[in-house]
Order: sequence, then C-alpha cells, then structure tokens
Amino acid sequence: MAFIEMRDIVKVYPNGVVANNGVNFSLERGEIHALVGENGAGKSTLMKILYGMEPPSGGEILMDGQPLRFHSSSDAIAKGIGMVHQNFMLIPSFTVAQNTVLGMEPVRRNMLDAKEAVRITEDLSKRYGLRVDAEAVVDSINVGMRQRVEILKTLYRGAQVLILDEPTAVLTPQETQELFEAVRELVKEGKTVIFITHKLREVKEISDRVTVMRNGKVMGTVATSEATRESIARMMVGRDVFLNIDRPPVKRGDVAMRVTDLSYVSETGRPMLSNVSFNLYYGEILGVAGVEGNGQTELAEVISSLRRSTTGKATVDGSDILNRTPRDVRLAGVAHIPEDRLTNGVALKSSIYENLIVDRYFRPPFRRGQFIDYRTVRSTGDGLIREFDIRTKDGEVAVEALSGGNMQKVIVAREFTASPKVLIASQPTRGIDIGATEFIRKRLVQKRVEGTAILLISADLSEVMSISDRIMVMYEGHVTCVKINTPDLTEEELGYYMLGIKRQDPEEMEANL
Amino acid sequence: MKAILKSNSVREILRIFTAVFVALMIGFFITLLVSDDPVGAYRAFLLGPVSRFNRFGDWIEESLTLMLLGLAIALVFKAGIFSLGAEGQMAFGALAAGCVALYVPLPIYLRIPVALVAGAVAGFLLGIIPGYLKAYLNANEIVSTLMLNTIALKFYEYLLTYYIKSPSAGYTASDTFPEAGILTTWVPNLPFLQGFRTMFVNQTNITIMLYLVIASVIVVYYLMYRTPFGYELRILGSNIKFARYGGMNTRRTIMLATAVSGIFAGLAGTHLAMGIHTKLIINITAGLGFEGIVVALLARNNPLFIPLSALGYGYLRAGADVMERSSDVSREMVLVIQAIIILLVTAERIFPEVKRRIQARRENTAAAEPTSQPGS
Amino acid sequence: MDIEIVLRSIFSAVFLASILRISTPLILPALGGLVSELAGATNIALEGMMLSGALAGVLVSAYTKSVWLGVLAGMLAGLAIAMILGYFHLVLRTDAILAGVAINIMCTGGTIFLLYVLTGDKGNSSTLVSGTVPNVNIPIIENIPFLGTVLSGHNILTYLAFLLAIVVSVFLYRTRFGAHLRAVGENPVAASSVGINVIRTRFAAFAISGMLAGLGGINMSMAYLTLFQREMTAGRGFIALAAVFLGGRKPLGTLLAAVFFGFADALSNQLGSLKIPPQVVQTIPYFATIIALVVYNLRQQAQVAARARHFQEKHMAEMASAKSQS
Repeated sequence: MAFIEMRDIVKVYPNGVVANNGVNFSLERGEIHALVGENGAGKSTLMKILYGMEPPSGGEILMDGQPLRFHSSSDAIAKGIGMVHQNFMLIPSFTVAQNTVLGMEPVRRNMLDAKEAVRITEDLSKRYGLRVDAEAVVDSINVGMRQRVEILKTLYRGAQVLILDEPTAVLTPQETQELFEAVRELVKEGKTVIFITHKLREVKEISDRVTVMRNGKVMGTVATSEATRESIARMMVGRDVFLNIDRPPVKRGDVAMRVTDLSYVSETGRPMLSNVSFNLYYGEILGVAGVEGNGQTELAEVISSLRRSTTGKATVDGSDILNRTPRDVRLAGVAHIPEDRLTNGVALKSSIYENLIVDRYFRPPFRRGQFIDYRTVRSTGDGLIREFDIRTKDGEVAVEALSGGNMQKVIVAREFTASPKVLIASQPTRGIDIGATEFIRKRLVQKRVEGTAILLISADLSEVMSISDRIMVMYEGHVTCVKINTPDLTEEELGYYMLGIKRQDPEEMEANL
Repeated sequence: MKAILKSNSVREILRIFTAVFVALMIGFFITLLVSDDPVGAYRAFLLGPVSRFNRFGDWIEESLTLMLLGLAIALVFKAGIFSLGAEGQMAFGALAAGCVALYVPLPIYLRIPVALVAGAVAGFLLGIIPGYLKAYLNANEIVSTLMLNTIALKFYEYLLTYYIKSPSAGYTASDTFPEAGILTTWVPNLPFLQGFRTMFVNQTNITIMLYLVIASVIVVYYLMYRTPFGYELRILGSNIKFARYGGMNTRRTIMLATAVSGIFAGLAGTHLAMGIHTKLIINITAGLGFEGIVVALLARNNPLFIPLSALGYGYLRAGADVMERSSDVSREMVLVIQAIIILLVTAERIFPEVKRRIQARRENTAAAEPTSQPGS
Repeated sequence: MDIEIVLRSIFSAVFLASILRISTPLILPALGGLVSELAGATNIALEGMMLSGALAGVLVSAYTKSVWLGVLAGMLAGLAIAMILGYFHLVLRTDAILAGVAINIMCTGGTIFLLYVLTGDKGNSSTLVSGTVPNVNIPIIENIPFLGTVLSGHNILTYLAFLLAIVVSVFLYRTRFGAHLRAVGENPVAASSVGINVIRTRFAAFAISGMLAGLGGINMSMAYLTLFQREMTAGRGFIALAAVFLGGRKPLGTLLAAVFFGFADALSNQLGSLKIPPQVVQTIPYFATIIALVVYNLRQQAQVAARARHFQEKHMAEMASAKSQS
C-alpha cells in the first residue's frame, strides 16, 4: 500500500480554469519523488491540495489507506506534511532560530526561551546537515540559507513528507548541491520528499521516481533509473493543442533592434541576464523559448525600461533605448505586451476606453489643446473593440469585468496599434481561452507580414514553434541557442537547450544571430 | 458626462442612501434616549436649515466651504494618495488671503481677486511638500501631512498672536477686515434687483464665493475627466504600476495632485476668512479638513457629486446648529451620525457580510467564519 | 542675560520634572500606537480613544466615588472604541485610515454630547466631583536634593507610563504572543502559514492599543488636569503616532521620542520669558519627525542603490574572469 495516494483529483477554479483533471499520484515512504511539468501543468495546484491550501473539487487523498480531509494547511501539518514554498514565508527581522520555531516557540516561565530556540535550531541543523547560522537575522542571510530555514521550519513541526516547490529555482549551482546533500540526509532519516522541478538534470540526479504532468493530467510515473532525460522531456513537452497558423513567407528586413551583452542582476544579487546578445529584424518573429524564470521576464522589462541596473546596450534603429523612461522607449517605437497583465497591463477599475490610450493620451488626435478629446477616444476605442473582437457591452465597462481573454485583447489592441517598430509580446496567450489564443497568434503573424519586428517570449513551446521565424532559447540568463525555425526542428531538440542539457556552438549561434 | 454618471452604479447610490438612513435612525434613537422632546428636536434637526432665510444662508455658506474642501480631497484620493493635509492648507490659505485683505491697499475690485489668488497660491505651495516627499523620498503622506498640519496651524497661530492680532481685541483675533477685503454679496446692488435683495439676499450672508465654487466644481470636473493630467491622476489611483508601464511620470503626477488639491483647500480657507468670519480668528479651521474627507467620500471622489454631498452634509451640520439652539440636544450628535456614515460607506464588505449573516441564520447552522487570507 | 535665565530654568529640577509630567499623556498612547503599528495596522484613532478614556474615567469616578473604577472604566472605554475600529477594519475591511478618521470624529462629538447630556455643560466637567489619581513620593529619593524634585512626587500614572514602556518592550520581544504580533505585522501570509490567526492577533493589538490610549486619556483628565474638557487631548493622539515613527517603531525609540515631544512642549512654556513664541518651539518635534522620515527613506534608497551596485560589480567581475578563462 502506498504511503500517500491521491486519487482522481479534480480542481476547477472559480474562474473556470481546470488545473487538475483526474490526477492520480502515489507516494512511497522514504522516496524522493520528482514532480515535473511545464508551467501551468498543474503541479503546484496538486501540491497545494495535498498541503491543504486548496480544497479539491473532486477526488480523495489517502494516507496509509485512511482517507484524509484537510480544511487548512494546519491540518496537513498535523498529519506530518510540510511544504517549502517558492517564495519564502519568513519574517525578515527575526533570527533564523525565531523563524524556525515561529508559532510553536519554546517558553520558560511564560517568556520566550531564546536559548532553547537556538538549541533546537542547531540540533535540527546538525542532524539533517542543513547548515544555518541560528542567530543571524533572516534579512541578512542569503537565499540558500533562507531555504534551509524553511526546511528546518517544517522539520520542527514534525514533517514526515516534505514538498519542495521548485527549490532550486533560486539557488546557485553550489547551493543546489548542498540542498541535494541535505535532501539525501533527510531521506536517510526516514523522511519522504516530493521535489517539484523543471530541471531534468536534477530529476536524474536526485529522484527515485518521477511523475510527469501536462495540461492538468499525469502523463506517467516512472522509476528515474529507467528513464532518460530525453524520454522525460518528450513526456513533458509533447504537442497538445496544435493551432495551425498560416505563416506566409516574408523576406525579413534590416535590423530593427540590436541587443549587445545585456546583463542584469536582481535586487537579491542573482544574475538574471548574462551577456545576452541578439538582433531582431523587421518582418520577423523571434521566439524566445525557455522554462520560466530563466531571464525572459527580465529581458522584456529591461528592454522596456521597467527595470534598471543593467550593463550592455540595446538600440532601436541605432538609437539607444536602455535605462530610459518607459515613455522614451515607447516613443522610440517599442510596444510591450506585459507578462503579468493584471499588474502591468491594465488598470482594472478603469474603463476599456481609458485602458486603450495609456500610451497615447498625451498626443494628437487624442489630445487637443489642453484637453483629451474623448469623442476621438471613444470612436477609436469602438473601432479597436470591433477590430480586436473584444466581447463587451461597450467601452465604458471597467476592464475588471472582462474575461481573461478579452482583457488580453484590450492590451493587444493597444500595443498593436501603437504602430511599433518593435513589439515585445510576453506570454501573450497565457491563461486565456483557445479562441482568443488563436486570434492573438494570427494577429502576431499578420503584424509580422506588415513588417513589424516581434520578440515573442513564451513558456509555451508549441506557441513559439508555430509562429516564430527564428527561435532563441534562454537558460539561466544565457542564450543557449539561436535556430532558424525550420520544419525539421523538433521540440525535443529545443527541450535539450531549454533544460540546459545542450549548448549551441558559439560560431553556429553567431551565424543565426 | 452621461458615462460618468452611469459608471457610478445604482448600487453605489443605494449604498450611500442606506448608510445615511441608518445613521439618521441611530441619531434618532440617541435623541429618544436623551431628549424630553425628541420629536421636536429631530424636527428642528431635519427641517431647521430651511425654516428661515438666515438659516438657509448659513447652510449654503457652510456647504460652499465643504465643497471646496471636498474638491481638494477628491483630487488626492482619486489619485490614491491619502493626503490629510487640507487642514493646514486651509489655514495657510486663510492666512495669506487675510493678510491681503487687511494690509494690501488696493481697491475692492483688485483686493478681492488678489486675496483669492494669494489664498490659492498659499495652499498650492504647502500642498507641494507632501507630494514631493512621497514622490521622491517615499515618505508616507499620512504622517507627513499630519505633521505639516500642526506646523501650519502653529505658524498661523504665531503670526496671528504676534503680528496680526489687534491690540484692542480682548481675544486673539485680527481686526475685522475693511470692506474692501470682504467678499461681496452674490447679487449685485442693481436697482431692479432691489426687491429680491431686501426680501431674501440681505437676510443671508451668501457671497460671490458661490460663483467661484460653481466654477471650481466645473474646473475640477474638466481637470479630472477631460485633461491629460486628470487622466494621469485617475490611472495613478487605479494602478500605479500600469501608469509607469504606460510611460507616465508618476512622480510628477503625485506632486501635482497634492499641490492642485492645495489650491482648493487654500480657497476654502480664504472663504472662511473673507466670507464667513471676515477676520482671522484663532483655530479658524476647526477640524473642517477632516470633514472634507466625508464630503469627498460620499461623492465617491466625483466632482459632480460633491455639491450634492456637501449640501447634504452641510445640511446635517446646519440642522445640528438649529437643533442645539431650539432643543435640549447638543449639536455634537451630528458628529456621531457623520462618523457612522463614513464607517458604513467605506466598509468594503458590509453588504457581503450582512448577506452572509442572513444566509447563515436562514440555514440555521453555526456559520463558520470564512478563512480570510490576509494580505491577499 | 535672558538666555542665562532660560538656561538656568531649563536645567532646573522643576523643569526636568515638568518634562516627565507633560510626556506622560504622550508616552501611554504612543506605546499603544506602537503595538498596533507593529501588528501591521496603523491606529490613527488614538486621539478618539484617549478622549473616550478621559471622559469615561471622570464620569465613572464621579458616580462611583472610586478613582480606580474610573481608571478601569477609562481603559475599557479605549478598549471598546478599539473593538469598533477592529470590527470595521479587520472584519468589514474598511480602510484603517478612514475608519480611524471616522472614529476620531465620533469620539470628539460623542464625548461632548455625553458630557452635555449628563452635566448640561459642553465645556468641561467642573460640575462633577471626579476622582484624581494620586501623586506619590518615593522614599529615600525624595530626600536627595536635585534628584528628589525631578523623580519624586509624580503622579502614579507617570511612573506607570515608564513602567509600561518596559512591560510593552518585554511583551513584544520576550513573549510568544509578542513574537506572533510582530510576525503578523511584518509578513501576515508567513504568519498565517504557521497557524497564527492574523485577524485575531490584530484585534488583540488594537485592544492593547485602545487600553493604553484610554489610560493616556485618564492621565489627561484625572492627573494632568482634574476634570474633563472638550477636545482636551488637543492632537496628542496624533503626536503619539508621530512619536512611533520618529522612534523607529521601537519601544525605547518611541519612549524617547515621546519624551522629546514633551520636552519641546515644556520648553515652549519656558521660553515665553525669552520672547521666543511657544508656537515656534512647539513645531520642533513636527519638523523633527518629517526630517526623520526623510533621512530614513534617503538612507534606505542609498542602501538599495549600494547593494545593486555591489552585485553588479561582482557580476561583471565574474563575467570578466569567465571570459578570460575561455
């Protein structure tokens, strides 16, 4: 009998997204079980259900054959299930020891027993080989140690099963090695570990079994020793809904944007972009493929001056656009469909009309004298609503009332009609319905035919492959390959670059730049 | 304009009316408890302001100040800036305008406009400070405006006590302004208007500020809904990240918002000095700055609704005055009513909560508290 | 010559004693403000809580003839107001600032209204014979010349205020609940992930805040003065909040900031003889708060910038060495 078994798990979110669709997952005591899949495959949802953070819409969870019912994560913790989240749940001004014992602090004569907290932390730290400085303030320690604190927290609460949600995403290679040693130590001490990751090298290195998810379903569970990285990659990125989009041949034009040796270091000191160089030509779609978190977000935001602190150069038609204001970049001819549409892309409480003019309200024909000409705003807006098939009663409706797909069409309508030289499209079809997806992809291709230079950043490999002329793959902030999108280019091959298995020869890359 | 009216949904209006109604009911209940003649007292409260011409005039005058304040607050709140600086800006406005009214030897037709401009500029200048501190130094505007309020009020008090105070006055106040420094009545002294003047106008104290306020409402409306600055302001209040992404200079907008807001607070102070008191007195602002918040809130920060909410709110205050004079209930009861209105109008979840309670009772089950995730 | 007089009076024992006396009604609400601030909910209603406490104390002590019941009633009044604020902010999700403004308005009006109903006077409670919290002399110290005048003979509440500063500090940093409270204030999601009830914790923080502010009000009406006056707190609730920010949101800092505000107030009384107007001196703490706010934020900006520069240089050095190797 399996230690933990999740049967026929279904999860439908209130907005209608089906995150898990009949998932079966079983866990043996004392194993390291890797859970892999692309973004949006449903891994995190499944684990949130196991950890009691989300109630399942259907299905059951058994532990040692007994059904479990969780109302909150406290229930899961009580059953010995612990989770280390991707964004750490730590109190910055508290010490490592204080964070470890938070919520279950040792007390002596009604006062916090700081010494005991340190002793507990150091004991756990030694026992599991999780090296921490118990008395350091969390604010001052590095990411690797913060993660170890998170693991200590779950262990202190008596976790038997540890769910690690993409634990290596924020770690350096050395820190990753340390984590792996600690995980092996944990298993030696009788713990069971679920390891969520994208990185197949890690799956091979650390796990006993691997479960692959795609599109809310489990594609299979295999013993890691019997699988190859290639076989796992095939299960992960297999072709699902393929939208066939006509891509008429277009002769690409001159260089529109030239990016040279672009580097960016995050606020926490992680290098997110390392010497990224590429050219983007008029009349082409350059697809940027890669597992999320490998620098694509930063690339788009640095180019559009939403982030600073970079080295390198980026020019559009020869004029510098790096580290200006977002408006300067827009005036230089760069439009940007942002990745996080709710944060950057729209003002939810404002009307569709007003969302459509954020980049152009200050110039004619929208501005007339000291005023904004709302008649023009409305008539132009109505035109865009029609042209981009935004399903709404009228343009006065607040954007928050729209579905995800229609909201994205508002953004697309705005950015497409900014008459850009360069269009950056970040995850343009994420989380929206098939109809809107197809619509947006077609429009992207049309834009390319009209001569716009398009940088398409997408975690959806099939999207990149279906409409790009060239494909650039990013891995850990580096460009690992640039290929012409020919019919013989396979997903498997790109997968090798995406997952860091392969790296293109610099000369070959140079030729395709 | 139709669109703006439409976008404020019926539910919003219903919600405000419900809040006002509930608050008035609570007020009546309190009156029942404390008064020997609760019905008489409440009648005085509810009908007082329209019972005599002079009371009517007091109501309108009070409302004009509140309208200016409401406009000032709406401008910053619409931009998502919680500036509470109207109080200090008002004192500065009163001081600047009062000094012009007292000391600048200009004929009336020049002295009044110069005084109005002085009041507006004083508010503007004081208003820049919290905006600058927030935009460039990331200083919390609530704290900075509260500090600036006290500084401004102390400064006002200082100048009044040491330089402006009339030696003959028994208490701290300036001389009454010369006629050239007092706002003139709203109906010009023309022969054919004589009848109207003796019958109605002379009984009230409504000044030409009436026109300036009407103009201000229109200006703020156009500023907010028809100009690039107004667009920036509203987008800023809706989603500051979107504003940045769209290319706006959000810092400049924040600074301008608090400064422009200061203009109207300054004018409100000017009205207090040159229209209502006709001299500078100690504590001239009397906490009105905070009451402007209520006016803006009831109008949902929409300038077109501000006259309505100011009149409604001014009516409560004027009614309270009448009630105090003609019954045994003190005017402060209206402050309680006012507080209840704010609480009910701003409670985001009051309707869902009420619905939940009713449902829970209906299902006759022990309603489990919904697990509310903070910070989300 | 004038300056000499002032300097002499500033360093006089009587003056130093007056600082302690004047600071007391700032320290108590400031500690309350600190507790709710650290729990992540700015309490702008301290003013109203103080007023309610001040009136409740006077009324209950007048009717029961018991000072201590009056003190208790003052604290409970602050608590009750805090619960209203808590219910609206935490349960009904009213903005904390707007709810606070509303509660201040309600308390200003409510106290005057109630005073009028019960005494027929809207100005003060002089018709009521209310209790006074006694002053105490400290044995031994009272006989030491200078020190005795400074430290002895104060009101019990003054000693209590300083004692409570220590208690609050111990509570926040040495007890389990204090740790939970600070955790909730810093990262509510993290706190709730380890089973800490965020709403309940903030309610408790408001409750403590309300009782401390109520006690501050009691100090105004039953020690500092011996009657209730309308609007007698005169902005002390806001000053107390400023003390929390000026004090860097730390107990000792808050205490010192409150004493500093008290010092400025006491000084403004003294400087009258030097023809320095009290209004000018009284603004010092407010300017100080604004400057502190600015300096704090400038320093943070500089730190962030320095860190970014450091990381960038490090990264560039690494890249350079990687290039030279290959």
